[in-house]
Amino acid sequence: MDFELTEEEKAHRKEFFEVCKELEGKRPASFVGFEATYEIDECWEYHLYCAKEFAKRGWLALGWPSEYGGTGTMMDQVLFAEARGYHRIPGFDIFGVQMLAPTLLQAASDSIKKKFLSPIARGEVMWCELWSEPNAGSDLATLTATAIKKGDEYIINGQKTWNTGAHRSDWGFGIFKTDPAARKHHNLTFILLDMKTPGITVRPIPYMDGGAPFCEVYFDDAHVPAENIVGQENEGWAVVNLLAGFERSGMVEIMAMFHELEELVKYCNETKRNGQLLSRDPIIRNRVAQLACELEAARAIAYRIADLQNRNEMALMDASAAKIFYSELGERFAFFATDIAGPYGQVKTSRWAPVHGAWEKAFQECFVTTISMGANEIQRNIIAWYGLGLPRMK
Amino acid sequence: MDLRFTEAQEILRKMARDFLATECPKTLVRELEKSEEGYSLELWKKMAELGWMGLVIPEKYEGMGYTFQDLTVLLEETGRNILPGPLIPTVISTFPILKAGTEEQKEDLLPKIARGEVIITTALLEAEGTFNASGIAAKATPKGNDFIINGTKLFAEMAHVANYIICVTRTNDTTPPEEGITIFLVDSKTTGIRCEVIPSIAADKLCEVRFENVTVPKKNILGKIDKGWPIVEMMLRKGAIAKCAESIGAIQTCVEMTVAYSKERVQYDRPIGAFQALQHIMADMWTSMQTSRYLVYKAAWMESEGQPCAKEASLAKAYVNEVYKNVGKWAVRLHGAIATSYDHDIPLYYRRSKAADIAFGGTDFHRELVAQEIGLI
Repeated sequence: MDFELTEEEKAHRKEFFEVCKELEGKRPASFVGFEATYEIDECWEYHLYCAKEFAKRGWLALGWPSEYGGTGTMMDQVLFAEARGYHRIPGFDIFGVQMLAPTLLQAASDSIKKKFLSPIARGEVMWCELWSEPNAGSDLATLTATAIKKGDEYIINGQKTWNTGAHRSDWGFGIFKTDPAARKHHNLTFILLDMKTPGITVRPIPYMDGGAPFCEVYFDDAHVPAENIVGQENEGWAVVNLLAGFERSGMVEIMAMFHELEELVKYCNETKRNGQLLSRDPIIRNRVAQLACELEAARAIAYRIADLQNRNEMALMDASAAKIFYSELGERFAFFATDIAGPYGQVKTSRWAPVHGAWEKAFQECFVTTISMGANEIQRNIIAWYGLGLPRMK
Repeated sequence: MDLRFTEAQEILRKMARDFLATECPKTLVRELEKSEEGYSLELWKKMAELGWMGLVIPEKYEGMGYTFQDLTVLLEETGRNILPGPLIPTVISTFPILKAGTEEQKEDLLPKIARGEVIITTALLEAEGTFNASGIAAKATPKGNDFIINGTKLFAEMAHVANYIICVTRTNDTTPPEEGITIFLVDSKTTGIRCEVIPSIAADKLCEVRFENVTVPKKNILGKIDKGWPIVEMMLRKGAIAKCAESIGAIQTCVEMTVAYSKERVQYDRPIGAFQALQHIMADMWTSMQTSRYLVYKAAWMESEGQPCAKEASLAKAYVNEVYKNVGKWAVRLHGAIATSYDHDIPLYYRRSKAADIAFGGTDFHRELVAQEIGLI
């Protein structure tokens, strides 16, 4: 067992961190929390700028086959994620680069790969995910939005919701019912569509903190070319499952928390309450140390997943475990940091806010990771049913 | 990076697993808990034949010359099965000899340890119960070519059957606590040593060892006078990682037994494992096991590579302590009343989770070390 990176990997990691550090210097002050990417115009502009910076270095196609412009290795993806997370840099479209691209590489036809991979690698096209519906959340396969084939087109009707950044994105990948008569799981098709298609209406949903990272998307006779599907018609469920496996590494969030832990330590070392530094309070020392332990445990299992993925082995149980663990650690972190800040724990980004209001933001933003990407309760089902072999709920 | 066990480690794992399954059934574990010695000499001799006590001892002293990481691979298996006796005390007490012993001490003792002829333990804790140097009050006073030790040591595992005791003493009262510590290698038969077993949760034979005017020759000092504390820290660090490895094995057994039982036990016309309330607890048990596992493996790897890893050892110990206790607790809860009986295997593990937590530093002790390492002033 060997945790050592190769000399080449170390050199790549150093370069990833250097570039991200440099980009951090250009980050707008309004960029607080990851969802700011979608919420604030100058943050979205910054996202697009970072994407171009990464694309010109080939970093949006790490680990891809060379015939599609790939560079580097799967391990480079992990090291790059560490750097982006630690310096909190957007520019990496999680829907296009992290989720759709590997799905296309495994499941799409050559013509689809040729058409869509290159713009993703160049950082030119931003994607959104069109999965959940008002009445189909965790039980996604009960969705009702339809795509009915007519000639060489699908005609889409219905509603999707909780679509992150749909109001900013150029294209979307969605799952639609293409055969209303067929049985569950064999009636869905995975479709790629241009968000500017007539008949598509996008409305941002106000989030609890006043921002709007998520949208609802309405389809009213939207015509989409029938060739833009991934996998076979009516067999989109398999593609959904494949794609879902690319969502859960968590390295970005984990490394972002490492940075936040450093900020928390600094805050405790500099802030006096009741005549002494917070850092001298044994209870605070104990709780900060506990967070540090949990954070290191989260990173350790993320490396375990990377190790499996490097050898093209499945990491289903570990990925679910990692997702549960890092997202709930995010909740604990937000609760604890806002506790430590005392009355300042409620202050939004302003001159009164500690760490630019990141903790107050985290207190509200922590649900993004626990609920999305397969709610943690679903992840626990995955571990129990497919990992531990416990009887499945009917 | 390759987080798989090597082929040699896989062989070691399998050999240990098969050996323990045959040679150390739970009936023996319970028998040894109730026995005075707390270990089986017959089993100890067989372990010596497999080279376990000499695993990390270099070949020139008749050891196997394996790495620290290999040791943790073995200990994960002893934890998985439960192995009562002085393996961990002996192996961890070997490190100060390897690190600070004279050539004479090494040539004399290491082959005997490797052959299973000598049991060693370490006497560190005292009345205050702290793992910090400030807790060391037992005094060693120079007298001619000897030192005279006076004081009472507590929780020295298996000291009642040990041939040698590594005794951590205070030789200077006027310096900061860490700077006046001297370590002696003491023959346990020396006049003035009295040993008594403290009844404890894992029945692992933790002893009170009283030193009353015990004469120890100067040449039995390990390392240098007053400079013993860094050696203690090294032992605590290696011991913490070793104990974590053992705990990972035990946690795995608790998870496996609980999942298996929940598939068999029928209530309300279905296996209780079909209920989501239980499934999610088992998923959490598995998650906490797996997050612990790679934390421990990383610390073991760093220690094995000789990298500084005080932080990683403490991160791992503070985390795994809590995971083992919690997984053990849920293993009892999900089994139900049956697992509260003395004759069930689960409580053997549950009781050991508390002992494992305390050994080589409890959660709060290690969290404080972590707090220092991450820069809290």
